[in-house]
Amino acid sequence: MSAHALIMEPFETLGFMRAALVACLALALTNGAVGTLLVLRRMSLDGDVLGHAVMPGAAVGFLYAGPSPTWLSLGGLTSGLAVAALAGLITSERARRDAALVGFYLVALSLGVVLVAWRGSNVDVMRVLFGTVLAIDQRGLLQIAAVSSVIVLVIAALYRPLAVGAFDPAFLRAVGARAPYGAVFLALVVLALVASFQAFGTLLAVGPMLLPAAAARCWGLGVAASMALATGFGLAASVAGLLLSYHGNLPSGPAIVLAAGSLFGISLAAAGTWRRLMPMIGREGG
Amino acid sequence: MVNLSPRMTYLARFYHPRLASGSRPTPGVFDLGARSDGQGGGFADGRVLLRDVTVRYGRRIALDTVSGEFAAGSLTAVVGVNGAGKSTLLAAIAGVVRLASGVVNRAARQRLAHLPQLAAMDLGYPLTVSELITLGGWREFGPFRSPRTALRERVVQVAETVGLAGRLARRIGEISAGELQRALFARLILQDAAVILLDEPFASVDAQTLSVLLDQVIEWHREGRTVIAVLHDLDLVQAHFPSTLVLARHCVAWGATEVALPTMAA
Repeated sequence: MSAHALIMEPFETLGFMRAALVACLALALTNGAVGTLLVLRRMSLDGDVLGHAVMPGAAVGFLYAGPSPTWLSLGGLTSGLAVAALAGLITSERARRDAALVGFYLVALSLGVVLVAWRGSNVDVMRVLFGTVLAIDQRGLLQIAAVSSVIVLVIAALYRPLAVGAFDPAFLRAVGARAPYGAVFLALVVLALVASFQAFGTLLAVGPMLLPAAAARCWGLGVAASMALATGFGLAASVAGLLLSYHGNLPSGPAIVLAAGSLFGISLAAAGTWRRLMPMIGREGG
Repeated sequence: MVNLSPRMTYLARFYHPRLASGSRPTPGVFDLGARSDGQGGGFADGRVLLRDVTVRYGRRIALDTVSGEFAAGSLTAVVGVNGAGKSTLLAAIAGVVRLASGVVNRAARQRLAHLPQLAAMDLGYPLTVSELITLGGWREFGPFRSPRTALRERVVQVAETVGLAGRLARRIGEISAGELQRALFARLILQDAAVILLDEPFASVDAQTLSVLLDQVIEWHREGRTVIAVLHDLDLVQAHFPSTLVLARHCVAWGATEVALPTMAA
């Protein structure tokens, strides 16, 4: 099989593959930035929980309007934001926080599945859990592109307070930056998860966000460079995952997450080797 | 309209009817009303007043009705056993912890800089020493603009002042605890604040670093800034700090060090 047939043909011949590719690329642009900030804030678990928080709302949207991307997203957005606000309240009582988060994760997931299964079929449940990256219509695509653009623009505008707030939020308050950047960031995470929801479902949405970012963090770059590398990893994982699913006849969402996971594993191993080799080559600019 | 002097404005606010009427005062940080130009009079508004300041963490009382005044330009050591509420007091003055009751009065436009304990920072964060120090000039560039050349030059200057000239390109995770503390002091210098809060500034630093940092604290005092430092080394307090506040959740003693400090040993 030629390289062309291997890589280009699936996208040339099949419209749904092209749509899936565009959706994944749009999401990769957002996820690179959001995921990096999430990893830097050490909030990976919170991201995961918020991914599930989208579920009950999306299920209510499903009950109301069937599998319409708009209603799924609106419902998911509402419950995601509500839980983000709730998590903010729980933070003030630190001791029980992780138990509360995990408890919430389970309740939200079960509630969502029960609600969807009540009116829908097993196919609907699977769709909500794992997404349907190969069944994104034009409206869904536009929605993903629009939300991704908004997120990228907001992060570009608020880059410095978001980056500093991840490192030293008390300093940010002390110098008089009174805007609630932490809350803004959580809202961005929820938005990004809702955008990913249709493609990757509630169980996997956080994967394309966290894995490329975690992989990029292995290389010890600065914040902006980490974001760029995470975006690059996200793009590569999307293309590789889609091709893998096409040629191997595998489910696409999990294939993309697996590709991103491999990048994380490779980065972990390679960056470790790199760090051991660096001192031997000689250090510069120390 | 009556033109009140800053002093009168302060008194008017302090004895605001709602606060003086016997009902519980609204907790929080209040404006002293004094102007803060940082010019001419130096740091005349660097005064901090506490009135019945109480902070709770859940049911535990961390700070119990502490009242008193840090005079403008004073250099005060805050001492006490672990859990005496020393860090909480600084956080209350900085306005980063919610007061259960009581009032902190300081000029709203007065610049305040807070050095947190090292443990409160994420050292894995990908930030260079140079970037960390540059943050001290936040008020000049704010959230959106980029730092000017003049600020970059000042960063190099203050790095030299604290003896970090060769470390500017390093990551904050790659330098020693003492060097990190020097970098944070450099950031404080750039913040150019009227009130400087230091939480255990000399913890885990070697003798050489200690002398550099202590010189800087004395320099701030000489410049007329109000410096409030949480300290454990009582000999150091005895030798260099004119005022001392002894805390044990409530205020045990507050005043000249030679009077207040002996209550700590008792």
